[in-house]
Amino acid sequence: MSLIKIIDLNKIYDSNKILVHALKDINLEIEKGEFTAIVGPSGSGKTTLLNMIGGLDTPTSGKVFINDIDISNLKADELIEFRLHHIGFVFQSFNLIPVLTAKENVEFIMLLQGVSKEEREKRTIELLNAVGLGDKINSRPYELSGGQQQRVAVARAIASHPSFVLADEPTANLDSKAAEGLLDIMENLNKTLGMTFIFATHDNKVIKRVRRVITLEDGKIKSDIIQN
Amino acid sequence: MIIKLAWKNIWRNKKRSLIIIFSALFGIWGGILTNGVSVGMWETTVKAAINREYAHIQIHHPAFKDEKLITQFISDYDEVEKILHGNSSIKSFSKRTVIEGMASSPTSVGGVKIIAIEPEKEKQVTSIHQKLIDGVYFSSNENEILIGQKLADRLKLKLNSKVVLSFQGLDYNLVASAFRVVGIFKTESKIFDETNVFIKRNDLTSILGETAPIHEFAIRVNSVELIDTTTGILKSQLKNLKVESWKELAPELSLTSEFLYLELNIFMGIILFALLFGISNTMLMSVFERIREFGVLMAIGMKRIRLFTLIILESVFLLFSGGLAGTLLGYLSIEILSKKGINLSIVEEGLAAYGMSAILYPTLPFHMYVSLFLMMMLTAIVASISPAMKAIRLKPAEAIRTYM
Repeated sequence: MSLIKIIDLNKIYDSNKILVHALKDINLEIEKGEFTAIVGPSGSGKTTLLNMIGGLDTPTSGKVFINDIDISNLKADELIEFRLHHIGFVFQSFNLIPVLTAKENVEFIMLLQGVSKEEREKRTIELLNAVGLGDKINSRPYELSGGQQQRVAVARAIASHPSFVLADEPTANLDSKAAEGLLDIMENLNKTLGMTFIFATHDNKVIKRVRRVITLEDGKIKSDIIQN
Repeated sequence: MIIKLAWKNIWRNKKRSLIIIFSALFGIWGGILTNGVSVGMWETTVKAAINREYAHIQIHHPAFKDEKLITQFISDYDEVEKILHGNSSIKSFSKRTVIEGMASSPTSVGGVKIIAIEPEKEKQVTSIHQKLIDGVYFSSNENEILIGQKLADRLKLKLNSKVVLSFQGLDYNLVASAFRVVGIFKTESKIFDETNVFIKRNDLTSILGETAPIHEFAIRVNSVELIDTTTGILKSQLKNLKVESWKELAPELSLTSEFLYLELNIFMGIILFALLFGISNTMLMSVFERIREFGVLMAIGMKRIRLFTLIILESVFLLFSGGLAGTLLGYLSIEILSKKGINLSIVEEGLAAYGMSAILYPTLPFHMYVSLFLMMMLTAIVASISPAMKAIRLKPAEAIRTYM
């Protein structure tokens, strides 16, 4: 059983009465423990595909199965609940709630899941230590660098014990050093915990690190390569 | 954490939130103070009317109030006295003879209500003895009269002046007798001062040649809460007589009270309605600034009902931060002013025409604070519904791509 299975996926946007075929007949399977990047030029459909996998958008036709559950048929509130328990997200920027501390940001998702206070606190500290921010637990996002903020976002993404993490251009706003540091953490989590990461990116630093690269062009899969 | 987050969110834009908070503070404070003054003005007027003439309850011959004939007296007043003595809610009562007559001085004449009282008993029911501005509250001499300042001015009378009272006797013949002015009173009501005179019942008995009839029992109960129940009990016990509480005796004052609270609630409603637009606008701006953040929150698993609650809570906190401070300030202001009073002697003449006191003691009953609290809650919720609906209708994928 694949972690993610996409069958004949199409997405057509109606942009001012002009139909834009963003994804065309996508068929794809991603297994548990993968460290994969979806790449391609701007407008190729990589973010749209990521949104479909993440249940943030609904397909025009086709199916998206996650752990054998067809998420394309779920209603809005069911999708939110599904994302809460199955998918972790890291976005390009403005990831964190600015009025909450690093600890509270990580804890927030577990609070939504109804995790007990003791367990929340324990796991939050563990995760912030794991991403190298054990000394920044009480810092607000504006007190952290861009790289540190993204590391908090990674900690939050895996706090909910998701089946996989979707990362949309996570290194786009980071300098090289911060980007490498963030990728080190993600790679380590993938290796040690078996956490599945799927990136949408055109950053070479990310592409060099991943083991599988799926290239999109004009909404179609142009290539699907396993790297050594 | 939703509560904590909502509280923290309102302080993201301090200046904008403080404008709303201070608007609510001053609006609510001003509203409470204005309401307190209005209620105080009404209560002072009612208290003055009760202390001056009505007492809490009165008993009459059934036809007396309409015709006011000397012959329409309470014949079995001993029985009434027995019943009143037997009721533990009754603090004191006074028997009165009330006759419509004329008061004449060497220079003028005027129609008056002659109230013959037992001075010591009357003291326990009304406060006319405290309203004397000249002279004394009767002595042991015969044919003494207390008159109001306004009547004294009209008839050009002063202390020790003689005034002749003429009225119809029990045998329908005209009776006239001279009285000496021993006291001049001034109450809150000009009309009362011009149309009422007080004499002793003993003197009236001497003039009539028989025991002065009893037309009126004026009763004071132990507390205002007992007025309605005591009136009801007396009505059932004295079916042949007319028993009325002050509300029935002065329906204009009672009606004012019913409209007053409605009017004050409308007044507070208008203040809150104005605040509603400010809060709604602030919440809308706040939502538009956070579209991307709401997108992220929904993406990571925050249900729409939680997001809706978050925005409602922010609006409630915003209004209540200022509203509760304004309520507290309003309460404290009323507490201080209810003890010190507001001196309105500069417009005393005008107030006296309406039977109002020149010293005003603001007050606001607890139920007005409760209705204010509920109205504030309703305002906060209504103000945030539109912004909250906008937030929950966002599509996470589009919201995340929004750049503010």
